[in-house]
Amino acid sequence: MKCDKDVVNLMHGYLDDDLTKEDETKLRNHLEDCEACQKHFHELKRSITLLKSVEQVKAPENFTKQVMQNLPTEKKHKKYVR
Amino acid sequence: MDLMIREKIKQVKKGDQAAYEDVVMYYQDKIFQHCYRMLGNAHEAEDIAQEAFIRAYVNIHSYDEKRKFSTWLYRIATNLTIDRIRKRKPDYYLDAEVKGTDGLDMYSQLATNERLPEEEVQGMELQSYIQDEISNLPPKYRSIIMLRYLEEFSLQEISDILDIPLGTVKTRIHRGREALRKKLRHV
Repeated sequence: MKCDKDVVNLMHGYLDDDLTKEDETKLRNHLEDCEACQKHFHELKRSITLLKSVEQVKAPENFTKQVMQNLPTEKKHKKYVR
Repeated sequence: MDLMIREKIKQVKKGDQAAYEDVVMYYQDKIFQHCYRMLGNAHEAEDIAQEAFIRAYVNIHSYDEKRKFSTWLYRIATNLTIDRIRKRKPDYYLDAEVKGTDGLDMYSQLATNERLPEEEVQGMELQSYIQDEISNLPPKYRSIIMLRYLEEFSLQEISDILDIPLGTVKTRIHRGREALRKKLRHV
């Protein structure tokens, strides 16, 4: 079965905490009856979970030191401006 | 922590350069990570993240203390990454090592372009696969998806960072999630 875009919009509204009580019920009722939309909704939530599972990366060592070394100082500034 | 940053920024504005070190230290991982996810490349990410902190320092007087510093800093970093992406040549990174392939570069990937996503997932670690799919999202969706789900900003904050209306943020996060769903549903 083909569901209209409105249902998908409701799913995204739900994910953004942006639904009225009424719309939320509408979405819930539809999902109970429609397997295709259930699957779609599940895939959306799952891709967010996968996305969040991505490893945290850290800045390279000496990152801060390097920034500090490259900040323009009064002296250097004069040199650059000329 | 916000209070500490606020104090440090005040000192920086008064000309105390050393106070900036704590600010950089506090945000370095977040900003580096943001650049890394936007660019998908550690070298470029380091470059751009460095540049973002330097620009923030140079322009510190234009930072309005009534607003959140992190929002302002992320805006600078995001704009720099988007500029960098625009300036890239298509073959710019062909000889860069591909993450999770243990030394293989893009040339070695060219012949295997036609693999199905399922096979590809098996061949790579899941983490690198997801990172690659993030990198493959169009930049305007990528920035929003990351700010929302990896850096946990609210939609309103994202609207401030990117300087676009809240409605546009909502449309783009919607499309970004759909794009991501299509890329990750085989996983």
